[in-house]
Amino acid sequence: MNKVALIVNGSPATATVEPRTHLADFLRETQNLTGTHIGCEHGVCGACTLLIDGVPARSCITFAAMCEGAHITTVEGLDNDEIAAELRAAFSREHGLQCGYCTPGMIVSARDVVMRMDNPSEHDIRVAMSGNLCRCTGYVGIVRAIQSVVADRRSRGIAAIRDGGRKELGPVGSGHAAAAIAVAGTPARTPDKKKSAAAAPAASSAKSDADFKPQTSFVQSFTVAHPADVVWDFFGRVGEVASCLPGASLNGEPVDGHVQGMIKVKVGPIAADFHGVADVTRDEATRSGTIIGSGKDARSNSATKGVISYTVKPGENPAQTRVDVTIGFTLTGMLAQFSRSGLVQDVANRLIGAFVQNLEARLAHQGDGAPAPAVAAEFDAGSLMTSMIKDRIKQLFAKLFGRT
Amino acid sequence: MKPVNFDYARPGDVSAVLDLLKDDTRLVKLIAGGQSLGPMLNMRLVQPDLVVDLTGVAELKGVDDRKDEIVVGACITHADIEDYRVPDVTHDALPTVARGIAYRAVRNRGTMGGSLTHADPSADWVSMLSAIGAKVTLRGPSGSRTLPVEDYMIGALEADLAHGEMLVSISIPKLSARARWGYYKSCRKTGEFAHAIGAFVIDPERQVSRAVFGATESRPIVVTDARQLLGDLNKELSSSAFDAKAADAMIEAAGMVDAIDRKIHVVALRRAIEQAH
Repeated sequence: MNKVALIVNGSPATATVEPRTHLADFLRETQNLTGTHIGCEHGVCGACTLLIDGVPARSCITFAAMCEGAHITTVEGLDNDEIAAELRAAFSREHGLQCGYCTPGMIVSARDVVMRMDNPSEHDIRVAMSGNLCRCTGYVGIVRAIQSVVADRRSRGIAAIRDGGRKELGPVGSGHAAAAIAVAGTPARTPDKKKSAAAAPAASSAKSDADFKPQTSFVQSFTVAHPADVVWDFFGRVGEVASCLPGASLNGEPVDGHVQGMIKVKVGPIAADFHGVADVTRDEATRSGTIIGSGKDARSNSATKGVISYTVKPGENPAQTRVDVTIGFTLTGMLAQFSRSGLVQDVANRLIGAFVQNLEARLAHQGDGAPAPAVAAEFDAGSLMTSMIKDRIKQLFAKLFGRT
Repeated sequence: MKPVNFDYARPGDVSAVLDLLKDDTRLVKLIAGGQSLGPMLNMRLVQPDLVVDLTGVAELKGVDDRKDEIVVGACITHADIEDYRVPDVTHDALPTVARGIAYRAVRNRGTMGGSLTHADPSADWVSMLSAIGAKVTLRGPSGSRTLPVEDYMIGALEADLAHGEMLVSISIPKLSARARWGYYKSCRKTGEFAHAIGAFVIDPERQVSRAVFGATESRPIVVTDARQLLGDLNKELSSSAFDAKAADAMIEAAGMVDAIDRKIHVVALRRAIEQAH
């Protein structure tokens, strides 16, 4: 907990809050200024927009502690503001609001448009206001209200101020306070991230729906210099196959086709540990098999389900084997909501690329009796990526310009 | 939608930040404007032990106007560029791009250094600064190093930061008188993440011809010698000379397998050329 002192609507406002307290919560919970509305709480809907040091900012993704000493103006502080007063009249006249939830944020953003934009077209206004969502009005009244206030002020000879009056560099709200070294969150921190790993629930079976169709799948074929019998046996040892997937590990050998395990994945600042079970099936006749796994990451409340299907066929000569692998997966929960499909695809491609590389390396070591190569203890997208992408870029330039 | 409970520090200089980054017993996250990290914290996708606020470091908000380049601190905001509080040396390329980043309320806090380090493939700066040939300077326990913007991004959400290292500044080359540039992004909704970005810079005096296919699933595809796409440096730029087939082949060779995806990216670059400044 630490004391945060702001200047809110012209008066000093002090409260003892945790560092994680965002500005909207500071105002609503400690100052009873509930005019600042919280909608999406991740910077998309614009309902919480207010003025920091005189210009608009999102209060749900701005921590109060980061604004120490800054001037905050909420919708309550705009009672006597000239532009806001004109906008309120125009919003009423043009039916610019219905339920009113978006209105405080709308007024703050609209005020910014009126102040900064000299002669905006309807399109300009719609673009400038696109960070504030309204689910009632269809925006027509809001845009009309802003247009009328702009036209009126320009006809009265009031010019736009392009920079909104800001002169300092850096994020608004910053630069008012002295350095502060390590303010603790709360005296006794609950180790919520440690418990999550242990408390992850393990489903009894992953097979629940037989016709599981992964959202994303990836097919890869490769040839290894070993007879098909050796490769087929290798795929029967689930522990070894799993260990080719960076970050994956099993709790033991499969019992009745079930096995428990986990996979750790790290992408930039995001770290997830998926704990779960896998079902293993093999068909001797077609020399094909599947491993279907599902797991949960308690920390992000996300779940994944994945399938690895493989077929082992003789290669061009008896000493070679062709392996067709299909890997598919579906991600649900928080991680999926955040992640746009492209990002998941990039990470999945890197993960699968590493899996195939490791698989080939393991199989290559089968015959010579050497110890199997070590595999990363967690999938770290960053460390794997460097070499792979550099090769790709090199190939590109070699192909295009005949040089490397 | 509340972050986990974390500790908070606001150091006064870069060396104090580096001291805090040394601690490998705790997950330490740097925050500047927090416009990308903030949502991830709120959704608990990121659960740090310590959040280090960089905005108390004056050096990171500095601007150094040199002979051939302008060096801006990592905490310079999109709005600082948009509003010309940072002098423009790019024939309005950076202010124009800044104006299209997210929304004004986000641009007032979001920073250039934060955007590059967050390494979202769809972000604007990584594409435009790669086209313009900007560099980033990192500082860490073993000193400082400078690398091209496109090399700083390793993949989706991965920046090339060694343990204990941080980004301190971005060096933006000054475009010469005859330089031309273009930027086009394809978004479903204004201010949201782009599905494709096309960007280019031609600067005949400096022998520069660079094109970028951005908003891929990973790092941008940077063509450092783009004469094949943009035409001869000494000729007038013309979109009719744009070789869409060559562009398509380039991005396919770079690993973009989806034909529709390639089409959108080729069109984005073509529109950037059509709308050249």
